Amino acid sequence: MRVTATRTTRRRGVALVALAAAGALTLTACSGDSGALPSDQDGGGDGDVEIRFAWWGSDDRHKTTQQIIDLFEEKNPGITVVPDYTDWDGYWDKLATATAGGDTPDVITQEERYLSDYASRGVIGDMSAVDTAEIPEDILSTGEVDGTLVGIPTGVNAYAMVADPQIFADAGVDMPDDKAWTWDEYVDIAGKISKAAGDGVWGAQDYGFNEAGLNVLARQKGESLYNADGTLGVSKETIAEFFQTSLDLMANEGQPDASRSVEYQNAGPEGSLLGTNAGAMGVWWSNQLGALSDASGHELELLRLPGESQFERTGMYFKPAMYYSISAKTEHPEESAKFVDFLLNDPEVAKLQLTDRGLPANLTVREAILPELAAADQKVADFMAELEPEIVDNPPVPPNGANEIQDIMIRINTEVLFERMTPAEAADAFLKDVGAAIAG
Amino acid sequence: MAVIQEVARTRGRGEERRKGDGRAAAIFLAPWFAGLILITAFPLVASLYLSFTDYSLLEAPSWIGIENYTRMFEDPRFFQALKVTFTYVLVSVPLQLAAALALAMVLDKGLRGLAFYRSVYYLPSLLGGSVAIAILWRQVFGADGLVNQVLGFFGVEGVGWVSHPDYALGTLMVLNVWTFGAPMIIFLAGLRQVPAMYYEAASIDGAGAWRRFRSITVPLLTPIIFFNLVLQLIGAFQSFTQAFIVSGGTGGPVDSTLFYTLYLYEKGFSSYEMGYASAMAWFLLLVVAGMTVVNFLASKFWVFYDD
Repeated sequence: MRVTATRTTRRRGVALVALAAAGALTLTACSGDSGALPSDQDGGGDGDVEIRFAWWGSDDRHKTTQQIIDLFEEKNPGITVVPDYTDWDGYWDKLATATAGGDTPDVITQEERYLSDYASRGVIGDMSAVDTAEIPEDILSTGEVDGTLVGIPTGVNAYAMVADPQIFADAGVDMPDDKAWTWDEYVDIAGKISKAAGDGVWGAQDYGFNEAGLNVLARQKGESLYNADGTLGVSKETIAEFFQTSLDLMANEGQPDASRSVEYQNAGPEGSLLGTNAGAMGVWWSNQLGALSDASGHELELLRLPGESQFERTGMYFKPAMYYSISAKTEHPEESAKFVDFLLNDPEVAKLQLTDRGLPANLTVREAILPELAAADQKVADFMAELEPEIVDNPPVPPNGANEIQDIMIRINTEVLFERMTPAEAADAFLKDVGAAIAG
Repeated sequence: MAVIQEVARTRGRGEERRKGDGRAAAIFLAPWFAGLILITAFPLVASLYLSFTDYSLLEAPSWIGIENYTRMFEDPRFFQALKVTFTYVLVSVPLQLAAALALAMVLDKGLRGLAFYRSVYYLPSLLGGSVAIAILWRQVFGADGLVNQVLGFFGVEGVGWVSHPDYALGTLMVLNVWTFGAPMIIFLAGLRQVPAMYYEAASIDGAGAWRRFRSITVPLLTPIIFFNLVLQLIGAFQSFTQAFIVSGGTGGPVDSTLFYTLYLYEKGFSSYEMGYASAMAWFLLLVVAGMTVVNFLASKFWVFYDD
């Protein structure tokens, strides 16, 4: 090799490059999203107030929200709303980073598993200035942390069984009576469908990756995933029973094998069993009915989860789809409150976004949009109306650290599906890991 | 800058010109310095400070001394992350370098259309770290994916290559080996520098292809192998994207692809323990620096400099 530099200088050069690369790459790897935010000021005249509104979502939501903002600015000259949006995955990183940089948006979209984290650290503040007269008390109270209203629900969803009547019919299995069916019957029905429908079509998609199902079972038994004081309220037996259902479903081939279950879990509504016409049932949030129906091309139905009349009480509940919160450090609390008020209570806003942020929590507004809903959303509205009188209460706001339950649940359920943990061991691991997450 | 001034001085240019050169250099270097200070040096120092604090991102950090560092050694998932990362690095890097060297040897034979092949084999290196490829990978290696369809054709029943905890990490290693383009190009450059006369002389003495490879190619290539080894080791320690996408950000199935950087990210942004995450980043820096030092010390025994 022809080399011009001397041996030592060249080696030192390599060493320096290598060490510098090591340092730079290692330490910048954790910096993640920058806090830089779009700020297209189009008003900006004298005396103008500018507030920033942060939300997550899809392109559709971004477009609709921009229309809503335009409408607000038209009706409220002097207030400019700066949009600050991203998809769900990037949203929490971005919000945390912006908060760390002292650049918290004025109006923040929140979710139940993060609400307490942000409230207890004083990032979001009291919202009693906003008019909430039209929102039912039991729904509004799901936005209270330590007695302070820190988030106002935009709309509600229910965690429910989505079923494909066409696959039931093809398999020659009757649709269940969802007021009466038990968890055992659910396993049984799924098994029958798999057998009758043949290769590549299953009875149900595994439900164990989402803690909402566990909460419903716990509530049916008079327990609750979390207590009002922020501790765990679910017993070991209930958790073990919850995971056992998955194992029973694998044993009678009512659901796919472990590997496929993991893959379907990662595939979203479009790639799910229901979405690809490869299964008859799946447990989803009610607002996903539209996306599932579109993907499957079938007319899907909403059913109550099994076990609603099997134990002490009903377990299903209304979960706020998301919340609007206001930064505790905003320089424009009045304008921010005005904007949230507009988002919640203006009928024109509701007509633009329909059920995109859940079935509106404001009952007058909900009434007004019913005729405008697409077929699937109409079904959701009917289902929720039917469910309403059966619901005993709504669960308390999940405690600090509750967002970690998503990853914990996926990890433990995978262990169970691959039979590396028995349901009893999984229950112990769940109590230990979730307990640690919400204690810290 | 100092070097430029020195050169200017030794060449005996006028005072005015020298000043002008310095200013021009400073202007050209300014963006780079600004970047270094703002994007690298400042976060580096800040993260060192944060690693000694309890920092949730949402509140101001509070000093807790070395607690983050001591806590690491009581955290079972921290050890799982180390295990996954070391397995990944120690298996996939040698395999990747072997593949790169083998391909470089083939391309060095003077194939027609060399430029084309070079580009084709380099492509995976450009794409390998991308989100799109990780998603594609998830499809190809799925339980009903392309790989299993081909296996099914031969009567072999495949597994869920990325969804089964026993195979997911292996699949990610294959993905890393596949991105051999960058080291391959460097090897190719190295091979071009080996004088043909050595091979001719060896051939005349009756050395076969293997003997020529072992006694001429490898020794003369050791500095290049070493360079590639150091760079790829560092890169592999910091793998993130593939595991993040393939596992949906959880390091799953069952923590089998919980790369160190992935766990660090999870701690920082899901658990809001940025202090702990910063401490983990510094621990990784020490590990990587340690590996690099060991590498350099060991290189005395096997790297041969021909000058």
